[in-house]
Amino acid sequence: MSVKENWEPKILAFCCNWCTYTGADLAGLNRMKYPENVHVIRVPCSSRVNPQFIIRAFQKGCDGVMVCGCHPGDCHYATGNYYTRRRFMLMKRLLEHNGIDPNRFVCRWISGAEAAKFRDVVTQVSNQIKAMGPNEKFREPYYLEKEAE
Amino acid sequence: MINEIKNACLKAFESGEVGYIIGWQATRFADKTTPLFMRSAEDVEKLVWNKYCVNSTAKYALEDKYPEKKIGIILRGCDSRAVARMISDKQLKRENLYLIGVVCDGKEDPICATCSHKTPVIYDVLIGQPTTEEISPERFAEVEKIAAMTPDERYNYWAVQYDKCIRCYACRNVCPACNCVECYADQYRTGWQGKAHNRAENQVYGLTRAYHVGDRCIECGQCERVCPMNLPIMSQTRKMLKDINDLFGPTECGLTIEEAPVLGEYDLNDREEFM
Amino acid sequence: MLLPKEKLSEALGALAAEANVIAPVKWEGDVFFMPYKGGDVCLEGNGKLPPKDVLFPKTEKMYSYSIAKGTMTEHNDAAATILFGVRSCDAASIERLDKVFLEQGYKDGFYSAKREGLAVIAMGCDKPMATCFCTSMGIDPMKAEVADVQMCPVEGGFTVEAVTEKGKEIVKKWDSLLDKKSKAKPAKVECSLNINVPEDFEKKLMDMFESPIWDDVTKACLGCACCTYVCPTCYCFDINQDVHGDEGTAFRCWDSCMFSDYTRMAGGHNPRPSKKERLRNRYLHKLAYYKDRHGKYLCVGCGRCIANCPAHLDITAFAEKAMEVE
Repeated sequence: MSVKENWEPKILAFCCNWCTYTGADLAGLNRMKYPENVHVIRVPCSSRVNPQFIIRAFQKGCDGVMVCGCHPGDCHYATGNYYTRRRFMLMKRLLEHNGIDPNRFVCRWISGAEAAKFRDVVTQVSNQIKAMGPNEKFREPYYLEKEAE
Repeated sequence: MINEIKNACLKAFESGEVGYIIGWQATRFADKTTPLFMRSAEDVEKLVWNKYCVNSTAKYALEDKYPEKKIGIILRGCDSRAVARMISDKQLKRENLYLIGVVCDGKEDPICATCSHKTPVIYDVLIGQPTTEEISPERFAEVEKIAAMTPDERYNYWAVQYDKCIRCYACRNVCPACNCVECYADQYRTGWQGKAHNRAENQVYGLTRAYHVGDRCIECGQCERVCPMNLPIMSQTRKMLKDINDLFGPTECGLTIEEAPVLGEYDLNDREEFM
Repeated sequence: MLLPKEKLSEALGALAAEANVIAPVKWEGDVFFMPYKGGDVCLEGNGKLPPKDVLFPKTEKMYSYSIAKGTMTEHNDAAATILFGVRSCDAASIERLDKVFLEQGYKDGFYSAKREGLAVIAMGCDKPMATCFCTSMGIDPMKAEVADVQMCPVEGGFTVEAVTEKGKEIVKKWDSLLDKKSKAKPAKVECSLNINVPEDFEKKLMDMFESPIWDDVTKACLGCACCTYVCPTCYCFDINQDVHGDEGTAFRCWDSCMFSDYTRMAGGHNPRPSKKERLRNRYLHKLAYYKDRHGKYLCVGCGRCIANCPAHLDITAFAEKAMEVE
C-alpha cells in the first residue's frame, strides 16, 4: 500500500482515570499542544485494559496503541498497575513474536501532574508511528478494503 | 508394566472408593488408541498401554465436578501436571481423585522429545521407576527460530498459520489450562469473538487463547497434537513461558497443586520498562 | 482414452487458461483443494479438507447495505469453476449437498449460482487410506456420482471418459493430448475398512434415540468441531452481520452442531446441553435422518473425521456397536 498524502496515524490511548487522564486534562488546561491523532479512552485503571483490546484496536484500524496509568505505588486501587506491568510486559513481547513492531505498542506511567510528560510521550509516539507508516497487520477485511479506497 | 497398571485398577475398584477409571483402549487402527472409561473390574482387561496412548486422560475429570465416588485417572507425567493445573485453578478437588501415576516412556508424539517430567508429579500410587529429569535444551528452540526472523517475516509466518486455522476449537477443548466454565469464544453476542472464518478472527482467537493460558501452560503439547491443521500452537504459549522465565525467574507450570499463575500475582520489584 | 501422466500439467494448464481450476495441491505439508496455478498436483490421499469450500465457502458475503447512501448490494458472483481431482467420496458429497441446497422446495441462490458454473473432473481412487470406508457406504471408488468427466489412474496415465455435455467440452480441449487407442481399464478397488451396514439401519437408529449406548460412545468426545469442519457433507451455517456504523455486511459462515451455541435459544435454553446430545445428533444426521429423508446416507466414507478426531473416535466403530444393540 502506498502511503497516502497527508496520511495521519490513528493512535488509541487507554488512559487511567486517576492519573493519566487527569494529566491529559491538565495538558489541555495549560494549552499544551499535542498531536490530535491520539484518541483517548478513559478506563478506571490501567489494569482494566484487557490484552484483547490491543489486538482488536490493531484490527479495527489503529496504527499504534498506548496504555498509560499511574506510577507504580500510586495506583488508586493500590495494586492495579502492578498487574498491568506484568501483563503488558508479556503482551508486548507476544505481539512482537507475532510480527507487530514494538514501537507500535507503548506503555507509560504518567501521573496527574505530568502534563508535560503526557504531551512529550504522545508527540514522540505519534512521530515514531508517522515515520513507520500505516499498520496493515492484523487488519480485519473490512478495514483493509476501507483503507485501500 | 500393563499388568501392574491393571492390578492397580483392580485394587482401586476392590476398595470401593473409585467410581470409574480413565485410561486408554485400542481402536481398530493399530496406531490409534482412544480414552477408555472403566466402570468396573470387568472393563479393566480393555486397558492398553503402548506408545500410541497419546490422549490426555486428565481433562475428562472436569465433566464430573461433583462425583459420587472418586474419579480414577491413569496419569502420565503430562497428565499429572494437567491435574495439578486444574486443582491449582480450583476446578477439581484433590480428594475427589484417585491418581494412578505411570512413569511415561515417551509416546508417538513429537512433543514428547522435549518432555521434562516423565514421572508424574502427583499420584496416589506410582508404577515404574522414577527417572531423573531435566529441562530439555530444545524447550524454546521453536521460539528462538521465530525470534530470528524480521517482524514482517514473523507476521507472514503466523498469517499463513492463521489462514490454515479452521477454528474447530480442538486446542481449547483439550487444553487443561482452558478450564473456564464458559469460554469467551462461546459467549453469546458479546462481540469478543466474531463467527466469520477469516484470518483476523482466527488471529484474535489464537492470540487471546495463547495469552490466556500462556502463564499456566504445562507444555503437554496436546494443542499441537489435536490440531487438524498442524498449527505450531505451542510456540505461542512457549514464547510467553520463555519471557516469564527471562523476566520473573525459572518457571515450569503444573508442578504443585497450589500454584498461582504468574499474571495473577505481582512483585514490587518487578522489572520496570514503562517509566 | 488415456491421458499420459506427463501430460497432466499441460491438460490442466489448458483448462486454467479459460476457467478457474481448483485442484489438490500440496501446501504447508498437506494436500488442499486450491486454485491451480501451474506445476504439480498431488493425487495422494483424500486431501486435508473436502472441496465443499468451492460451493459452500467458509465465509460468504450475502449482501451489504449503507443507510447513508440508501443502497443495498447483493454479493453473488460465481465464476465458471472446474474442480479437478475429486475422489468418489467427495463427488458423492456434492450430490448430497445438492439435495439440501437445491431440492428442498427452496433453491439456495448462492449455492446454485456456484453449482451451475461448476464442472467436476472426478479422479478414481486406487489407493484408499486406512481410514477410508466409502465402499461400505455404497460408493464406487472408480465411478463418481456427479462427475462431468471421470478419470481413473491406470499404468502410465489416466483413463478419461466424458460423462456429460459439460464434460465433453472439457475433453474436447484435451484432444491433442489424449491417446485414443488405449484400452486401459482401471482395476477394482476395495477399502481395507469395511462395515456391513444392514438394510433399514436408519430405522433401527431412529428407535435408538434414548438408548444407553450414547453415554458410552460419546464419553471420549472432546466437543470440538473438528469432525464437522473436515466433513465433506456437513452443511450447517450461521448467518451473521458485520456492522460498522450505518453500513454493514451480512455473511454466512460454517457452523457446527458440536458447538454449545448451535442450538442455544434466545432465552438461553439449550435442548442439546452436552456433548452427548450433540454427537448423537451428528451421528444420527449422518446415518439416519438424512437417509430417512433422501434415501442415502449423509456419510460418504471419506474417513476424514476418523483421521482427524483428537480423541480418535470412529463413526464406523459406533455403527458396529449400534448394530450389535438388540
